[in-house]
Amino acid sequence: MASPKILIIGGGPAGLSAAQDITDAGGEAILVEQEGFLGGTPKRLHYSLLAPDLKPVEEVLDPLIDSVQQSGARCMTGAKVESVNSGRNGFTVTISGGGKKVEEKVDAVVVATGFAHWDPHKKYEYAYGVYPDVIDFKDFEKMLSDGNIVRPSNGQVPRRVAWLLCVGSRDRQVGKFYCCRLGCAVSIKQAMEVRRINPAIDTYVYYMDIRTYGFWEDKLYWKSMEEFGVKYIRGRIGSINRGEDGRLIAMAEDTILQRPSEVPLDMVVLATGMEASEGTRETAAMLGLELEEHGFVKPLESDSMPVSTAVPGVFVCGTATGPKAIPDSITEGSAAAIKALNYVRKRSIKVQARA
Amino acid sequence: MTVLQNLPRRGPKGTEPSMVIGGARPRDEKTEELAAKIFSEFKSDFRYKEYVLGCINCGECTTGCPAARFYNFSPREMLQIAYQDDPLVLLDAMQEKIWACCQCYTCNMRCRFGNDIAGIISVMRELAVRNGLDSAKEVLKPYSRILLAVMTNGTQVSPDMIQPDFFADWGPFAVAKQTDIKTLRKAIPIDVLQVTDSSWEVSMQTSLELFQIYTESGVVDMLKSIDPDLVEMIEDIVDEWKDEFEEMKAKYGVGEA
Amino acid sequence: MLNADQIRDVINQRAQARTFSDKKVHDVREEMWRLHDKGELVVIPIEKKNRPVEVETLFGWKKRIPTDYLWHHKSCGQCGNIPGYPASLLWFMNQFKTHYLNEPHQTSCTAWNYHGSGTSNPVALAAVAVRNWHRAYETGTFPLIHCGTSYGDYKEMRKLLIENREVREKVRDIMHHMGKELAIPEEIVHYSEWVHVKRNDMAGMVKMKLDGITAAVHEPCHYYKMVPEDAIYEKDTNGGQRPAPPTALIQALGAKVADYSTWYDCCGFGFRHILTEREFSRSFATLRKIKPMVEEAHADVAITTDTGCVTTLDKSQWIGKSHGMDYMLPVLADVQLAALAAGAHPYKIVQIHWHSSPTDSLLEKMGFDVAYYKKDFNSYIEELQRGREPDMLYKPHDEMEKYFAVNKGHVIMDN
Ligand SMILES: Cc1cc2nc3c(=O)[nH]c(=O)nc-3n(C[C@H](O)[C@H](O)[C@H](O)COP(=O)(O)OP(=O)(O)OC[C@H]3O[C@@H](n4cnc5c(N)ncnc54)[C@H](O)[C@@H]3O)c2cc1C
Repeated sequence: MASPKILIIGGGPAGLSAAQDITDAGGEAILVEQEGFLGGTPKRLHYSLLAPDLKPVEEVLDPLIDSVQQSGARCMTGAKVESVNSGRNGFTVTISGGGKKVEEKVDAVVVATGFAHWDPHKKYEYAYGVYPDVIDFKDFEKMLSDGNIVRPSNGQVPRRVAWLLCVGSRDRQVGKFYCCRLGCAVSIKQAMEVRRINPAIDTYVYYMDIRTYGFWEDKLYWKSMEEFGVKYIRGRIGSINRGEDGRLIAMAEDTILQRPSEVPLDMVVLATGMEASEGTRETAAMLGLELEEHGFVKPLESDSMPVSTAVPGVFVCGTATGPKAIPDSITEGSAAAIKALNYVRKRSIKVQARA
Repeated sequence: MTVLQNLPRRGPKGTEPSMVIGGARPRDEKTEELAAKIFSEFKSDFRYKEYVLGCINCGECTTGCPAARFYNFSPREMLQIAYQDDPLVLLDAMQEKIWACCQCYTCNMRCRFGNDIAGIISVMRELAVRNGLDSAKEVLKPYSRILLAVMTNGTQVSPDMIQPDFFADWGPFAVAKQTDIKTLRKAIPIDVLQVTDSSWEVSMQTSLELFQIYTESGVVDMLKSIDPDLVEMIEDIVDEWKDEFEEMKAKYGVGEA
Repeated sequence: MLNADQIRDVINQRAQARTFSDKKVHDVREEMWRLHDKGELVVIPIEKKNRPVEVETLFGWKKRIPTDYLWHHKSCGQCGNIPGYPASLLWFMNQFKTHYLNEPHQTSCTAWNYHGSGTSNPVALAAVAVRNWHRAYETGTFPLIHCGTSYGDYKEMRKLLIENREVREKVRDIMHHMGKELAIPEEIVHYSEWVHVKRNDMAGMVKMKLDGITAAVHEPCHYYKMVPEDAIYEKDTNGGQRPAPPTALIQALGAKVADYSTWYDCCGFGFRHILTEREFSRSFATLRKIKPMVEEAHADVAITTDTGCVTTLDKSQWIGKSHGMDYMLPVLADVQLAALAAGAHPYKIVQIHWHSSPTDSLLEKMGFDVAYYKKDFNSYIEELQRGREPDMLYKPHDEMEKYFAVNKGHVIMDN
């Protein structure tokens, strides 16, 4: 029997992990990534340190990228899957990239097309794009990676920075009903980084709940207070306005004190939620995958078969099925790999039995 | 910032704090009965299940609330009270706090759960009036002039209402001081505005139709429980108009107008 | 309520625009037309003669703003104490040869009662709305709502009548008793939306100097917070993140619009507060709106588009002097500023003497010879006192209309 040949769409943590396990198991992996590099969203947006251990992105992802590249997997960057046709013996796919089109026959497909940041322009009261000192997660990650924390409005070092959680998450007003799972941890991590770089900057996190699951509680939430002096205000900012001296004024309710408050701030970081990436939606449409109610790919059974789909031979992993962290995405990549391998093996046994 | 005093106490038990955790307060049977009645009317109102969905206590409603800055009031608290199941706490809120709301709808626009907070406060106010609560009576006392105007000619503000003694704080320029108000109204180049006793001249047919709406929709009955004298006065006025209207029909040869 | 699939569809369709909640997502106008087809209600259509202009609202939906054959739904607060507000609007309509009716056969929306004192109920409110709309219907005109609260209330009433069968049936019965139909206008349109779509025509009429004028906008809550999906938003105004009227107009006229920290705050009107809790209204208006408008925005004038806001912001300032807060910021409606810019008579048309905060220095800055206009107006007043017939924007109604809603189909144009 020929070794199983599996197409992986998306070269982020999930897709990399799938590719790694497929080749390790003796399969042939074709990894198609639309960007010119591997590593996914954390690389593309230049994330700084990763939660929960505050390790640089490179330290976490580069070993994975290197080992995939050395594993013999065919990594096609700057490439896209143009079409997929399923036939009796698997799928015929057309991949374009570098001005060329190639056709491949594969036995199974793993979708690892990931997520996108919710666009905070849509939450008008926060004036993103109107006041330069209102920025979002990705803007701030970039700033941290560049090691240059300054107010975009005037290039000066801020004295007070606040994070506002759940922007574009858990909000019917903008049609996003779910939790992004990462916003709390990432905000806390960013605040800790700021305090580490410059302890003179005061950091405040406006929250309604802090969801630092499992070990992230003590590693991030508690630690941020004990060791880094990050301050927490239980209540949300309802609108961000510009004060007299060009500083931002955050109008919030402190729900513990039960009073409305107004706090001058130099910068506000919006903890923007996750939504399915454009690539995820396109790929789902191309493969005939159903989306679930929040717009992500719908697994066959979200509880017991999280990486299978209703289309035989198509598997899905990582943030394409909903918000999750890097370790979970990596785990799902491995899971999708084994499911895909088993699918091909079972099918070839059936074919042999018939022959 | 100046923080103004809370609304004056309006409940019968003037010494109590306004919010007491259920059970911690002396109850008498009459109050409990009233609370239970209002509670069931409240929860069965068709608007209740449309307006009150749930609450994650994020506080965004309160961030933009004008009343929350000056009174001991917050839309979040109101929504919580509406959502919870304590008739006495509900009654308590209806005796005072609900009247602080400005009905500006900022909370509604902000609420990420999609509650209609200003709307549910309106419902509470309506229930306070319908049940003749002391707070409603107190609140409506200085309001009867407006009610009279709106019930009869369907407009709330009349130029002659803005009198210096009542609106002294609006300053010397607020009121037509030097000239007589009649002439000033004449100087408005719109015929229906050249009146002083209503915002604009409202035709009698229109007023009578309005009163028909108030009667058929139950507003007149509702007001009887709170200010029977006012209702009587309004009914007298309308009766006179009806007679005059018939005369005018004859005069102008109008059949069924 | 929509099911999850329907929500998802709508969200995907409009991924670029601001998306919305399951509760507020659906467009009541679609259901309204279905009910019209079933004979459950009558939609007052926007016709060709109304010469509609299309705009975009919060969710990227389209809304058509009729610009001709209009029925003025007056505001009780405007007519009562800011008469220059409707006068400026009608003055512009005359300039544009707009066909309109301004009748005595209208009541206010009475939402003041409902929201302020709880002395009404949904059936009464909805019936009052329909009675007024119906008058436009029977005269072949389209209602143009002057007051922000009426506009907000009518949007709520439209929704209620469409979604709640019980209320609809009760209101329909009441209407039938009066020989009327349950009529609902195709769109609920605020006068500021008419002004907005006419802003370039108005800008073409500018005679006075506006380039030195800085305006602070107070956006009326009931324009954009009540049933928010109906308010006009435009990509090029306020970064597309705040409603376009009246900012786009002010800019078109050539004045500057300045931001300030309490932009989203309400004016402090609060229905009953302005009458019986005035210490609240005036403190809020002065401390939360006027003060930042002057100290942060350095505004020459506050511009807003609703009755209660003009009243509260304007009337609440004087008392501030007793606390050393002598701001005296002129407060005008958008259409009043536009009329002044176009050189309308500040007293005879814009009726600026009804405003409490002094406007002389604003007028001077715009290039008016204030003394001349004052003298002119005073002599007009004297003539009126001596019995002269007042100038009118249109031919006055017949005596008979004090009683009866006649004049069907007779639309006023010439002045
Ligand atoms: C601000 C922020 C900070 C974060 N920090 C942390 C952290 O500290 N710790 C942590 O554990 N997690 C963190 N996360 C979560 C982490 O980013 C995700 O869990 C992880 O990126 C998910 O990996 P993925 O492979 O599913 O998707 P992605 O990383 O989004 O990768 C998907 C890849 O698919 C490619 N692709 C998409 N469509 C196509 C197509 N049609 N054809 C070809 N290629 C396509 C994309 O270009 C992309 O490279 C953070 C998330 C955010 C938003």
